Amino acid sequence: MTKLTRRDALKFTGGGILAAGVIGMPHIARAAYPDRPVNIVVPFATGGYNDRLSRAFAPHLEKALGQPLVIANKPGAGAQLGHTYALQQPNDGYTILCTSASPYIPLSILLQGAPYKNEDFHMINLPSRDYTLAATSSGSSLKDFKEVIDKLKADPGSLSIGVQPASADYANLILSMQAAGIDPTKLRIVTYDGGGPNRNAAAGGQVDVGFVGGEGFLPIKEKIKPLAMFAAEKVDWFPDAPLIGDSGLKTDFVEGSQRGWAVSTALMKEQPDIYKVIEEAVSKASQDPAAVEALKKQQLSTTWYGPEASNKAFKENAEKMAKYIDLLK
Amino acid sequence: MFDFGAFSDALGIMATSAGSWGWIVPGLIVGLVFSAIPGVSITMAMAIVLPMSLYMDFFSAVVFLTSVYTGAGFGGSVPAILMNIPGSPASYATTFDGYAMSLKGQHNEALGYALFASTICGIFGYLLLLLVVEPLADIVLGIGPVEMFAVAIWGMLLLGSLGSKYITRGLLAAALGILIGTVGMNTAGFIRGTMGIPNLLDGVSPVPAMIGLLAAGQLLTLASKDYIIDAESSREVSLKRILAGCWGTMRYPGVLFRGSIIGIIIGAVPGVGSSIGNLIAYAETKRTSKDSNTFGKGNPKGVIAAESAVASAEGGSMATMLALGIPGGGATAILLAAFMMHNIVPGPSFIQSQKPMVYAIILNNIVQAIALLGVGIGFIYVAANIVRVRTRYILPVILVVATLGTYAVDGQVAGPITLFIFAMLGFALVRYEYPVAAVVVGILLGRMLETEFLRSYQLSGGDPLYLFQRPAALAIVGIMLASLGMTAWGKRKQAKQEAEEEAAMVRLQQEQAVAGARK
Repeated sequence: MTKLTRRDALKFTGGGILAAGVIGMPHIARAAYPDRPVNIVVPFATGGYNDRLSRAFAPHLEKALGQPLVIANKPGAGAQLGHTYALQQPNDGYTILCTSASPYIPLSILLQGAPYKNEDFHMINLPSRDYTLAATSSGSSLKDFKEVIDKLKADPGSLSIGVQPASADYANLILSMQAAGIDPTKLRIVTYDGGGPNRNAAAGGQVDVGFVGGEGFLPIKEKIKPLAMFAAEKVDWFPDAPLIGDSGLKTDFVEGSQRGWAVSTALMKEQPDIYKVIEEAVSKASQDPAAVEALKKQQLSTTWYGPEASNKAFKENAEKMAKYIDLLK
Repeated sequence: MFDFGAFSDALGIMATSAGSWGWIVPGLIVGLVFSAIPGVSITMAMAIVLPMSLYMDFFSAVVFLTSVYTGAGFGGSVPAILMNIPGSPASYATTFDGYAMSLKGQHNEALGYALFASTICGIFGYLLLLLVVEPLADIVLGIGPVEMFAVAIWGMLLLGSLGSKYITRGLLAAALGILIGTVGMNTAGFIRGTMGIPNLLDGVSPVPAMIGLLAAGQLLTLASKDYIIDAESSREVSLKRILAGCWGTMRYPGVLFRGSIIGIIIGAVPGVGSSIGNLIAYAETKRTSKDSNTFGKGNPKGVIAAESAVASAEGGSMATMLALGIPGGGATAILLAAFMMHNIVPGPSFIQSQKPMVYAIILNNIVQAIALLGVGIGFIYVAANIVRVRTRYILPVILVVATLGTYAVDGQVAGPITLFIFAMLGFALVRYEYPVAAVVVGILLGRMLETEFLRSYQLSGGDPLYLFQRPAALAIVGIMLASLGMTAWGKRKQAKQEAEEEAAMVRLQQEQAVAGARK
């Protein structure tokens, strides 16, 4: 009987691992993507819009991809932590982002010095679009946005305005004030660190006018009076809100939020076959009537714009934000 | 205000969905166990079970999640009482008297007091909600930054109740806590004290910081002991004494009532949550009690006051969520998401159109609170056995579990790192006799103080007379000053009485001495 030394044992094990590697490697390369569960990175806490979107959409995307999805919430630092995390994952198609691409990607770069670029992200589809809505409490005496402008022109301190600093809403507030010839530094601005508190303040009449993402107002629609939606066309989820153009004010504006599905640009360029599978799956699931119906009930969007339109919209809005970044500082 | 038709429909929903009732006990147990682990908050317990609830029908999902919520509301007080480490910020004030009672060998009674205070006030809170869930929406929306600032100041008054050897060190510690609480990006977009670390942009997470600060000092104290309770005869776990504690709660209806009202109001305010209600309820009860000098030394009223505000705050928070679709805190944010995932969007229109469902949800919470009475007694009976385990086994377990818990909050190493840094800070504070409690209160309230003060300033344009346009804020300040004034007056009266008694004693002694001399 031969004596098995520890060294021998080590050789065997080492060889075994090597062999497993050699046999395993081509197998991984050849196997059709996806052959294991795919991670959906949501850079926000459980319960936010992106989290709900990802969980509601997951069953339909699972069907289209043929693999289960694992939703990983990586909140923090204005989505910067989650975005960084997603880019750090292996470039193998097992990480898909569900995020508010705009404004969080450009804002984290412009204001927080995030270690990535807009071009590092490739949008597959951004179905949810949110716009800044200037609103007042339903009991307020303010009639329309023109009255707000007139009052502020007479005395910039006459109305208090609630807004989130360093947000698309803030940019829209300043842009519209500049267009109306009102000095923004003389306004009585009250800052909120979240859309929720800002909406409560507007609905409860704590501030006279709130500038904040319109979609979040839907559950308390009865408590507010919409004054101006910062969108170019009527918004299907809030059709009775007047547009900023209706007030007679000519002003540029940025889109509030563009939310949806993205991957790293590296994946799209270096693994085109895998990317194609993901794109087709998102496309198929987005247009699946069952998905459209299920998401509509939860007030979530599934509209399929596709990568080309989504990337264009994202790029344009990001550029606009960069252009007006001085307003946000 | 109260819709009897809808109420009987609600009873119908409760009866027809009897299958959902089966989720109450598992939900309560999940909530109790998770929240009893230091570092795992109520929010996290709910975030973990949220995806599970997607596979249930709507009413079952709501029953399950709210049961977790109800259970978690109490679970945090178990480690607070037995080990002086609160399971979550909401049960922080429970440590003051709860742990002191444990040291005296009254852990059974303390747990009983906490359980009954929690459940009774929970039931009371939900009963009140049945009546006011509709008007509450408008009241909550009417609360502005000035009112919130007044509430935060009220919370800070607790510092006076904590008692420390040196007033200056107490104030310095509180200032340090507030500074730590304001790290990160503030409401006006300014970034302070992050040292370039992106994780700090949202501020220091309060849960790992609090556990670190409190656990460090506590673990060092425990390390020098063989058991948590010194006297061997006191280390018993007795159902009889737990029940005696439960029953004893009924002797303090005033404390229960005040705690519930404070809890409901503060819980209903969006964004405040239950972590402040317990501080205010404790401070108020202590200040207005005749035996205030025994608070912090194991007075059952301290335990009852703190716990009464926790459970009722859940009710307040839930009401805001149902009535406005606005979460009062992290846990109700998860509940809100669960509603939306089942295609139900809470808010004013939901309350109008689905009143029976709203009533059914509230009624179910009352049922859960009643069930918690039973489940809770079993849970604390098992948990109380920790006093019979040697500390050399408990300490490593607490350390590992707390580290894992803080890691799990968002799956990032930032949690354990925060825990470690604050444990070091806690150690230094204890070593140099600075009150750790003051730092914790500062961390819990610092951000709210700053945010609401800043907003009040922005809103008023810097005019202090703005306060007089806000009757509610004036009322809060008025009640606060009246409470302080009454305490001062009471203390003076007490001091006077004591002085008189002392003088009488002296006179008596002199007379006796004189009489003795005559003999």
